[in-house]
Amino acid sequence: MVQFVLTRLLRAVITIAAVVTFAFVVLRMSGDPAQVMLGPDVPQESVDAFRRAWGLDQPLWVQYFAYLKSILTGDFGVSMRDKAPAIQLVLERVPATLQLTLPALFLKLLIGIPAGVYAALHRQSVTDRGVILASIIGFTIPSFVLGLLLVLIFSVTFGVLPSGGQDTWMHGILPTLTLSIGGIGILARFSRSAMIEVMGQPFIRTASAKGLKWREVVWGHALPNAAIPIVTIVGFMVGSLIAGAVVVESIFSWPGIGRLLVVSVTNRDLAVVQCILLIIAAAMVISNLVVDLLYGWLDPRLRAHVAH
Amino acid sequence: MFTLNRRRALGLLGATAGSIALPRFAIGQTARPSVTIAVQKITNNNTLDIWYEQSNVGERVFFPNLWEGLILRDWMGNQGPVPGLATEWRRIDDKTLELTLRQGVKFHNGDELTAEDVVFSFSAERVFGDTQPAGGRTIFETDHKPTTVKELPASVPGIGRRLWPALAGVEAVDKYTVRFHNATPDVTLEGRLYSHGSQIANRRAWDEASSYNDWARKPITTGPYMVGEYRPDVSLTLVAFDDYWGGRPPLEQIRFVEVPEVSSRVNGLLSGEYDFACDLPPDQIAAVQSAPGFEVQNSTIWNHRISVFNTQIPILADPLVRRAMTHSIDRQAIVDSLWGGQTVIPAGLQFESFGDMFVQGWTVPEFNPELARDLLRQANYKGDPIPYRLLNNYYTNQTPTAQILVEMWKQVGLNVEIEMKENWAQIHEPAGVKGVRDWSASNTINDPITPMVVQFGPNGEVQQKQDWTNAEVNELSVVMETSTDKAKRKQAFARMLEICEREDPAYTVLHQNAVFTGMKSSLKWKAAPAFAMDFRSSNWTS
Repeated sequence: MVQFVLTRLLRAVITIAAVVTFAFVVLRMSGDPAQVMLGPDVPQESVDAFRRAWGLDQPLWVQYFAYLKSILTGDFGVSMRDKAPAIQLVLERVPATLQLTLPALFLKLLIGIPAGVYAALHRQSVTDRGVILASIIGFTIPSFVLGLLLVLIFSVTFGVLPSGGQDTWMHGILPTLTLSIGGIGILARFSRSAMIEVMGQPFIRTASAKGLKWREVVWGHALPNAAIPIVTIVGFMVGSLIAGAVVVESIFSWPGIGRLLVVSVTNRDLAVVQCILLIIAAAMVISNLVVDLLYGWLDPRLRAHVAH
Repeated sequence: MFTLNRRRALGLLGATAGSIALPRFAIGQTARPSVTIAVQKITNNNTLDIWYEQSNVGERVFFPNLWEGLILRDWMGNQGPVPGLATEWRRIDDKTLELTLRQGVKFHNGDELTAEDVVFSFSAERVFGDTQPAGGRTIFETDHKPTTVKELPASVPGIGRRLWPALAGVEAVDKYTVRFHNATPDVTLEGRLYSHGSQIANRRAWDEASSYNDWARKPITTGPYMVGEYRPDVSLTLVAFDDYWGGRPPLEQIRFVEVPEVSSRVNGLLSGEYDFACDLPPDQIAAVQSAPGFEVQNSTIWNHRISVFNTQIPILADPLVRRAMTHSIDRQAIVDSLWGGQTVIPAGLQFESFGDMFVQGWTVPEFNPELARDLLRQANYKGDPIPYRLLNNYYTNQTPTAQILVEMWKQVGLNVEIEMKENWAQIHEPAGVKGVRDWSASNTINDPITPMVVQFGPNGEVQQKQDWTNAEVNELSVVMETSTDKAKRKQAFARMLEICEREDPAYTVLHQNAVFTGMKSSLKWKAAPAFAMDFRSSNWTS
């Protein structure tokens, strides 16, 4: 088990290092941050002064090793735009994003999994077809279309919900719905497929044949075995809690990590973009690590495989 | 037993006076409305410093509600100069301007405006850093040092010197009189005083701020509204400053909220959440205007869309090819199809604000495909590709305009190829071949020195980036900058137009830019021919 965890930790470190390097190089190769930050009309001496002040006149490899050294000591750099520590700017935005993504995740789990399981247990029924249709609509409508559609209905036509901003809890309803509807559809589809597959297995027939109540068959035998694909999807959803709302935050003018990322990329605010990408990578890697560990817990065969 | 002594009598008198005065006072202080304005961007640099935030979006939140200068721009009129924090000004000589300050002007922190604040606003510490004026050295440098160190953004001194290249210093003659000393003769000193950047800041507030950022996010100025709350990338709330020298502001609050998506701004306006939605593209105008209770105000602004040529490549080194490009553009078709006819084709790189310096009868090159083909024949052009580095709608309608241009050029035999770029750094990237690029040109003072000399002169970006150069234009630029002979300057400007637009084209003007603001029809407010939004009492009726 220790080897299992260590292997995955090593992979995690390599993944994060690759993300850091990739982000560093790509950001610098896609345009001089000084020119991007200051705009088209500033005099050349201002651009030169800016480059000197932020060390952009140094060779790329010098900048890279200085950056690596600083992140290893916990210094994520200073925003060229705000002149504040990048990590501070990023952490200030995390709560706003979680205000949307956590309730959205809760709704996805609360509605998506039961809907999928119910549909699987009532296969070929009207309900099943209704769940399939709704889930396909849910996950095929892009969030920028869905968001605008919800605004058109609830804000413009009926005037019952605000169209954007973060002033009250009411402002969070439409972006949360926009975020959750697609995820509900995905989870419903996966849950249904996983359950249908499990329900056709011999051990389900055996459990039924030996006289177990149907509820015990479903809860005790079917669901745990269908959990692995569902956990994989939920793992991705948890991993994207930090950065999964980039488009929705832009549509609803929600001041979270997603909008900070868009603004920072647009302005080539290097330290902030790198800091956000590092956190996103870390969140995704940790989430995947937890999912890997959960596999072992959910399926004893995997534990045995690792042990051998 | 009630006894009336002197103290009680005074108290009763006071109470009586109060009971009479209070209702009238209350009537005078009736609740004022507040407005919410949805904008694409509040500021680019997350500060409210006029020198650092030199953008169009900055102009919108700064003027005329927050920052004020000694001379103000007539935002709702001809954009010309009107008295502001100075009541009058006069020339001492070609290099010196004396201004008399308005007395009794209060800053938002209660301080009275004095000459010291003006001197500070044009000091090395506030703007110029360690730069020196062209043609001289800094004089009247203040020894004043703030209580905390302020690290001026590295780009500010250069920006300051672009507007004030030869300003040697500002002298406080007395408490209410200042003199601007230039190192060289300059007829445009007054114009520079109402340009974006030359506004007055309170010295004490700068001193007391713990850092540049703290100051720049809540600058203390003299405007009718002061900064209430600023949340970078989210919102900016300006609140009424009732001690404003120009009278009580008509609004309680002006709240700018950042809504990057245009559809979200339109939806927010139509749902009643916002009172104004700015930066509407022309294709959204109908959607707003068709909704009952809403309207769109459009203004052509003092900014022209242009395309700039790079003469480094052999094809465009030949002026005949560039001339052919200028004659193959049907500008009116672009204005009609993409702008719904809501903007105009200007008289070359000119603005009505030039006044006497406006060259009458001058026009953009005529749309004449036959002439263009003939010029290409003369140039022996064989269809070699001309790269067109293009940003995706940095300017309104930029991408469709470029696509139309390419087709129009194709009609006369020009082979122009679009290369999409992500940012300005990629547009100016020295590596690779440059051909055509987009730009805009603004008039910031009522003189043709902007944009002609500032953008195309020897120190302008076009020549600095080695896109194009012309020796005669450079000589004429010196005349424009230093001569005080009006006739000579006008002659020089007319010649510059001939060279830059006909003989050796550096650019070609496409159309004037325009801004569109959606708003509730019930609001009695007018848009200025600028990005600035005027919420003073003269432009608001309850």
